[in-house]
Amino acid sequence: MKKLFLITMMLVLPTLMISCATTGELEKVQAEQKMIDAKADQALKDAQAAKAAADAAQVKADETSARADSAIKAAEEREKAAMEKEKAAVEMEKIAEEKAKKADAAFQKSMKK
Amino acid sequence: MKSVQETAGSFPSQSHHAKEIERNKFPVARGEDVIGRLAVIRLEKGDTLPDIARHFSLGINAISAANPGVDVWVPEAGERILLPLSFILPDSPRKGIVVNLATMRLFQYKEDGTSLLVTTYPVGVGTSERPTPTGRMHVARKAARPTWRVPASIAEDHRKKGDILPKAVPPGPDNPLGEYALYLSKSGYLIHGTNKPASIGLTATNGCLRLYPENVKTLFDDTPVKTPVRIVNQPYLIGQRNGVLYLEAHAPAEESDALELEKLYKKLRTIEKKAQRTLDWKKVREAQAEARGIPVPIFELSQGSEKEAAKPIEVEHPETLYGKPEIPALNLRAWYVLAADLPDKIDAQRIAAIINHQGPQIPARVFKKSGSYRVIAGPFNDGSEAKKAAKRLKIDLEIDGIVIEPVKNG
Repeated sequence: MKKLFLITMMLVLPTLMISCATTGELEKVQAEQKMIDAKADQALKDAQAAKAAADAAQVKADETSARADSAIKAAEEREKAAMEKEKAAVEMEKIAEEKAKKADAAFQKSMKK
Repeated sequence: MKSVQETAGSFPSQSHHAKEIERNKFPVARGEDVIGRLAVIRLEKGDTLPDIARHFSLGINAISAANPGVDVWVPEAGERILLPLSFILPDSPRKGIVVNLATMRLFQYKEDGTSLLVTTYPVGVGTSERPTPTGRMHVARKAARPTWRVPASIAEDHRKKGDILPKAVPPGPDNPLGEYALYLSKSGYLIHGTNKPASIGLTATNGCLRLYPENVKTLFDDTPVKTPVRIVNQPYLIGQRNGVLYLEAHAPAEESDALELEKLYKKLRTIEKKAQRTLDWKKVREAQAEARGIPVPIFELSQGSEKEAAKPIEVEHPETLYGKPEIPALNLRAWYVLAADLPDKIDAQRIAAIINHQGPQIPARVFKKSGSYRVIAGPFNDGSEAKKAAKRLKIDLEIDGIVIEPVKNG
């Protein structure tokens, strides 16, 4: 009888001990989960905020890029116009020079005997 | 090689001012080849380069080459013009008359006791079709108020243009020989005056040498018969003054360019070898390519103290330019010729200036007329004078003028 009691105690005690450890652990895990959740929420919020900031930056970059594109285009157009103007001026100068040359040639011819 | 102060072509500071400058007569120092001095002048409204050229005894060729890019007929008032009044004497014996065709300049040498004097004048020379001959000759005879016996070739040229010339043209404004002629021993060639002063410095003659009327008179008086005449063609001249070697490059006739350049480089290599120093060949090539017809310092011959080339002098604009064509006042009783109606003011001014510089002169001016500019030649005393001018405009300048009758008759 004494032997049986001993054996029973040997089986029951560890079981009690195991179940006590599992409950504490669970609470700890649950607390940790909460904290991680909160962290995750924060991280998500942060990520969303970062994304929003990134998106906003992208929009700004896109806008800037578009502005730069149009500025380049405008500059190119201006350059083209300036080149055309210069070309026209060169052309005019050429015509003026031609006229002067023609007049000079006529003059030189008129100076013969 | 030591650098030589380059001043040719650069304009002087305010300190070098003069009212007058010598343009014809210069002493020639022993062993020296460069005479005269460069000068600058500020143009005034209405000046043309031919007017400035004549006043300073320069040819149109010389003033144009020295001032590239300047409008010959309508230069800007206030523009500063270089007067190329410094010359390298031709490589020829310094005796009698020497003419350099490439520079279009005549040099007359005279001994003055122990020193040598040179008088120089610009000339007009023959065209490429009828060139002035080179070589040695002499003055065979002289004539004041010569008659021009029209050569058959010239009569034929004029006939083709519808202009019938007489066999002989007596002295007077229509005589192209002007008032004085020196007949050369080479038959058919003369040194003479002109009734077209604006042709001095042009290749416009039939082989003769033309001088400004005021220059030919002096030459005529100073030149005895039998004076030796040497005609050379030297587009590249080198010479020294005050220990500095100068190069004067002129635009050569195309056919003689390679040969003349070869001669120049040979001479320069000899100088370089003798001096045992390297010449600034870049400067030589620049002067040759620019061909401005002014002496450019290229080498210091004797090593020693730093030598400086003479700076151009600033000359005051004279009150009136000698020989500048005058335009008579408008007269409602006179006849006129409408020579051109142009949209551009400069074009109109150029045509008017060219007409004004015809020989004999045809006065012309520009009228502004609602969006266009009219070139009006005149005044003429009568209809026949106006018609004669219109005919000359047609023959000489291919201008179809319209004769305008007087506003008021009688």
